[in-house]
Amino acid sequence: MKFLLALALAGSGAIVSAPLFAHHGNATYDSTKTVTVKGTVTDYIWANPHVFLEVDAKDNSGNAVHWTIEAQNPLSQTEVGWTKRTFKPGDEVVVEIIPAKNGQPFGRFGVAGPTAGLATQKSLIVINGKQFKP
Amino acid sequence: MKKVGIADGGISEMSKRCAVLILGLIAGLTFLPVPRVQTAAPQEAGGEARKWNNIPPRKSAYTGKKSSSPAPRRDLSGIWDAAGLDGGFQVNGAFEHPALLPPKEGRTEGGREAGAGAEGGRLDETGIEHPLPYTPEGLAALKANKPSGPGVRQVPAALSNDPLDQCDPIGFPRMELFELRTIELVQTANQVLYLNQWYGNWRTIWTDGRELPKDPDPRWNGYSVGKWVDDYTFVVETVGMNSRSWLDHAGRPHSEDLRVEERFHRVDHDNMELTVTIDDPKMYTQPWLGLNKFPLHLLPSDFDMPELLCSPVDMAEYNRKFGNSALPATPKK
Repeated sequence: MKFLLALALAGSGAIVSAPLFAHHGNATYDSTKTVTVKGTVTDYIWANPHVFLEVDAKDNSGNAVHWTIEAQNPLSQTEVGWTKRTFKPGDEVVVEIIPAKNGQPFGRFGVAGPTAGLATQKSLIVINGKQFKP
Repeated sequence: MKKVGIADGGISEMSKRCAVLILGLIAGLTFLPVPRVQTAAPQEAGGEARKWNNIPPRKSAYTGKKSSSPAPRRDLSGIWDAAGLDGGFQVNGAFEHPALLPPKEGRTEGGREAGAGAEGGRLDETGIEHPLPYTPEGLAALKANKPSGPGVRQVPAALSNDPLDQCDPIGFPRMELFELRTIELVQTANQVLYLNQWYGNWRTIWTDGRELPKDPDPRWNGYSVGKWVDDYTFVVETVGMNSRSWLDHAGRPHSEDLRVEERFHRVDHDNMELTVTIDDPKMYTQPWLGLNKFPLHLLPSDFDMPELLCSPVDMAEYNRKFGNSALPATPKK
């Protein structure tokens, strides 16, 4: 229930902040699915066009899976309270993403819905056991 | 903390249930004091004096408020905000043709359909409410342009030919018709300098009375001259744009015959309206409005504009990781 409450809190924050549109659309992603990735950050790149995060995770069978997850551009991420120090290698994270349609371990921060992946701040982000709040 | 699973078939069902729960709870939780950096005044983000990388106020913070003082005569100078995602983003392409669209349920103030394009879009403009008046050449050029942006004509990034996907210059007027965020206008004795945050574009608008070039070599941002038509209205004419740039994020085309008129009308001290007319007889049978009295809001003079640049190396890395790697497994039928 804590988990759901956290989700709901993240959602309520997003209602008053408009979705972040940026240069790249969502055609690559399955915006009907929310995937929760749990793992260890291996890299965090503060770059254009989009900031991205590399995460070593495990699938349900315990096999290693390396996820590459994009956010929006640094300016848009600044607007939702991210900085170059939001993540660092070694952080244990739980993040919500929408996954690539082709099944490869690529994703975009966001949750399923009409503006999936265009609203980074809708994602649940937990870093080292603490929910991320700017 | 509930144990959270990794991607599998069950997640989709779980996310549906979560979505329903979220919707149910949102109404009750919306007014909880969730810290949000965007709602802070530009200088007060985080509760401390913020001198660098300022964030413009939300449009709702000033919409409908009267300026405390009248507009100065023949003066545009200052840092002007277009309220980015509150209005300045035209991700589905310029939407003002043939004039301001009437209010309609589901359309936001900025004129885009709520959520439009999030799922991928149509490859031509059939069914779009106000299709532009294309010539046959214009329509063919439109269809050859495949945008990856979140608009109605969206294709996966790897299948797009958007010049921005390679960090090519955005060019003028796309810099005004796509992600219009913040611009700074500087007046000198014989120029108006137009500094656009988006990918660090600047234009020189000559006010020394010179005429536009007759047969110019193409430039991404064209050649501009401007003049005051009254004390509060500055009109800019621009020609000579490189036809490799797109007009907007939907891939609307232009030729080198494109002429653009920008009309900056200063309403009062804090507010300005921008109207942009597109005239390109090769591509369109009549001129149309890319922006129609679009509101710009004056920011404090100490507002520090954050940087938003395109690095080709970063873009190549992005395309490698997200564009090419995330190609559809099987081509869509």
